[in-house]
Amino acid sequence: MSTHAIDVDVLRETGQGIATEEMTLNMGPQHPSTHGVLRFVVKADGEVMRRAIPDIGYLHRSIEKIAEKVGYHGFMPYTDRVDYVSAMQCNQGWAMACEALAGIKVPRRGEYCRVIASEFGRLASHLLSVGATGMDIGAVTPFTHAIREREYINDILEELCGARLTFNYMRIGGCAWDLPPGFVGRATKFLDRFEPLIDEYNELISFNKIYVERLANVAVIPREMAIAYNLVGPNLRGSGVKYDVRKDAPYSVYPEFEFDVPVGTGERGTLGDSYDRYMVRMREMKESCKILRQALAGIPEGPVVAKVPRTFRPPVGEAYVRVEASRGDMGWFVVSDGTAFPYRVHIRTGSFAAMAIIEELSKGLMIADLVAVIATLDIVAPEVDR
Amino acid sequence: MGLGTYVRNIRETLETIFEGMAITASHFVRKPFTIQYPDRTEIRVQDSLPFRYRGLLDVDLEICTGCLACERACPIDCIVIDAEKDKQTKEMILKRFDIDLAKCMYCGLCSEPCPTGSIHHTPEFEGADYSLESLVRRFVKAPLVAYKPPKGPETDPEVAPILARGLRYLDEFASPGDPKAGE
Repeated sequence: MSTHAIDVDVLRETGQGIATEEMTLNMGPQHPSTHGVLRFVVKADGEVMRRAIPDIGYLHRSIEKIAEKVGYHGFMPYTDRVDYVSAMQCNQGWAMACEALAGIKVPRRGEYCRVIASEFGRLASHLLSVGATGMDIGAVTPFTHAIREREYINDILEELCGARLTFNYMRIGGCAWDLPPGFVGRATKFLDRFEPLIDEYNELISFNKIYVERLANVAVIPREMAIAYNLVGPNLRGSGVKYDVRKDAPYSVYPEFEFDVPVGTGERGTLGDSYDRYMVRMREMKESCKILRQALAGIPEGPVVAKVPRTFRPPVGEAYVRVEASRGDMGWFVVSDGTAFPYRVHIRTGSFAAMAIIEELSKGLMIADLVAVIATLDIVAPEVDR
Repeated sequence: MGLGTYVRNIRETLETIFEGMAITASHFVRKPFTIQYPDRTEIRVQDSLPFRYRGLLDVDLEICTGCLACERACPIDCIVIDAEKDKQTKEMILKRFDIDLAKCMYCGLCSEPCPTGSIHHTPEFEGADYSLESLVRRFVKAPLVAYKPPKGPETDPEVAPILARGLRYLDEFASPGDPKAGE
């Protein structure tokens, strides 16, 4: 396997390198390329890292504890803040967990609205991720291109639910509002314009030789390691494991749609390198467009929300549901003791697993590659801490 | 690395950079996307926002029934209402209706259970101020009698248009629209 990793100890023993003293560096918590408030304690020998130890907890807001205080309906706006880059899927996870507790069936139109909202959320999240990857390793222009399209998606979602980031769109039993008049036409028009732009974006940056050299063969996660570290979502698929909750443990109306699950191929380097993870996200955007087109074309008539009492008291029990969020398998665990407030809520997020692998990955990488690793693992700090 | 690889790498780098640069250059002839906020927009930004936009909260006290549904629905308790029932006249007297906009997270959960559409989000979003104290909106200046919906349609010419606005708001925002919408 040819990788960029350099073993400092071997260099020192063979006398090839200039032996320097180990240096402890602080990266973050306010570093611009750490995607939020993250801190790494980097032990480095010159430019080469021995290890980077992630220090988490700067964005801990006790969201799980808040759920025990505000009740089932009132917790919905807080789920937006779990992962604010793709809030729709968090909404969906919480709603599905409560529905599983109480055995509520969502109307079909409601499920379609959820899928449409979620997939637009996934597009917005992946656009930010691929744009920020470019910016973190020194290409600023692609970021503006990605953010430009993300603004249009925000416009669409704003029309749907009245907010651009913290949507609070879904409710227990369905969605808060139906699609506004003319929504289908405008959304389809956006997709017609957006799909060619993915190819343009690829030409702009993805195939750029310098860009490829910065990502290919960097921070390779072999298949077994990805599974052992419990990686999920595009990070896992980048290592060649074809696993997607939408396909393998289907929920909502996803079984009705035709779409592929893109996996890493090692096209420019080794299977599971940073470039594979990046390209999986680019290809997933195309698949999301496919799902959106089918959902917009086939949306049935009917109500969008089931009848749910305003004081929601589910029976005693517990429920665990999984949704495929933009950063992978997101698990929502809720325990009910029969009152209007949940007894315990726990959220399992993809970024937390991705954070755990960084210490292992960073051995022998250059310091400048650490930002590429964070960017391609698509770590969002609030999702790590919650 | 042989000389051939070296030269090929340079050639590939230059080619791919020019491909990217061509796209960047093509933006000279494309329509610009940037909107110069706030003074160079054709209409006020507030007027261009969709109807469901969740901006600063406002209350129409003329149609507030004092039912406290919004206060109960708020997950962060940013709404405080003092309402008392007058023993003699059997009317609800509103003494206090405060919304702390510094706490508000604009989730919209308060405007959903409102029976008349009295509490509602406006498209206003420019709420910057110099102190937290001034972000507390006190709607009740002096104690007043809460609105009591009549049996039939509203006849008071002053209240009728406000109630019509409130009910339209409920129709289009707070309750799921008719299934034909979105066509």
